[in-house]
Amino acid sequence: MTPEPVTPAGPETEAELIEAAQAGDMDAFAELVMAHADRLFAVLLRMTGSYDEAGDLAQEVLLRAWRGIGGFRGGSSFFTWLYRIAMNEATRSRQRAARRPPSVPLGEPGTPGTSALDVPAPARDEPGPQAEQRELRDALARALASLRPADRAAIVLRDIEGLSTREAAEITGVSEAAFKSRLHQARLKVRAAVGDAALLGTS
Amino acid sequence: MRVPGHSADHQWSQQHLSHYAEGDLPVRARRRLDRHALDCVDCERGLRAMRALRRVLAADGSRAVRAPAGILDRARAAAAGRQSR
Repeated sequence: MTPEPVTPAGPETEAELIEAAQAGDMDAFAELVMAHADRLFAVLLRMTGSYDEAGDLAQEVLLRAWRGIGGFRGGSSFFTWLYRIAMNEATRSRQRAARRPPSVPLGEPGTPGTSALDVPAPARDEPGPQAEQRELRDALARALASLRPADRAAIVLRDIEGLSTREAAEITGVSEAAFKSRLHQARLKVRAAVGDAALLGTS
Repeated sequence: MRVPGHSADHQWSQQHLSHYAEGDLPVRARRRLDRHALDCVDCERGLRAMRALRRVLAADGSRAVRAPAGILDRARAAAAGRQSR
């Protein structure tokens, strides 16, 4: 006869983890959020353009989520709920930054992974097409950084993260129609800032 | 019936390139933009640029981004610190 396992059987479902976290189990909360940690950090990185700022914000988001998990009622998915906290924090952070003296949130040229688009460091003497790609990504990063947080969030959630319009609208707290309108306007702004020649590789 | 002039069509098309690329235009509106783009180099180019923009952004989203190690430990420590106050 096979003995009963002494360790807990199988992974717990998200609903079970949420319930345990709501009862004060921090390990359950940790397991719950770690499944989303990389994407959460990616969104914050793309909203802020800074690894350091995204790291600080991620900590704040997790803290707020832990303190607020008792109020999570499951009307939306946990992922959507967590992202909404993240977007609120990122927006607040961008608004605070806008009140400070201006700085370019793109990291030093050649510093890996510090731009709004998480571009890798360029190789020295990089050939033409790669240099063009690098320039395009830099131009896009600058264009995104110039958008107001709500417009930037629309591009980050829908076009970069690939969320559905419904999910992105829910996260940003607006109707689907309002979200789409915001997204279309944001794309037009980015296209105008980057230029068709750069986008089409004909510059 | 009033036929929209080139200028009105052009402005309208430029404002709806993203809607078109997203598949958000009803059939008649889509045809309107199609017809206009056949004769308008700017709008035909704009459509290609809008599609390229979405491709580049989506490609960036497919890159793996790793959260810094210890991110959760920092949050745990912060939570414990604030709870004990």
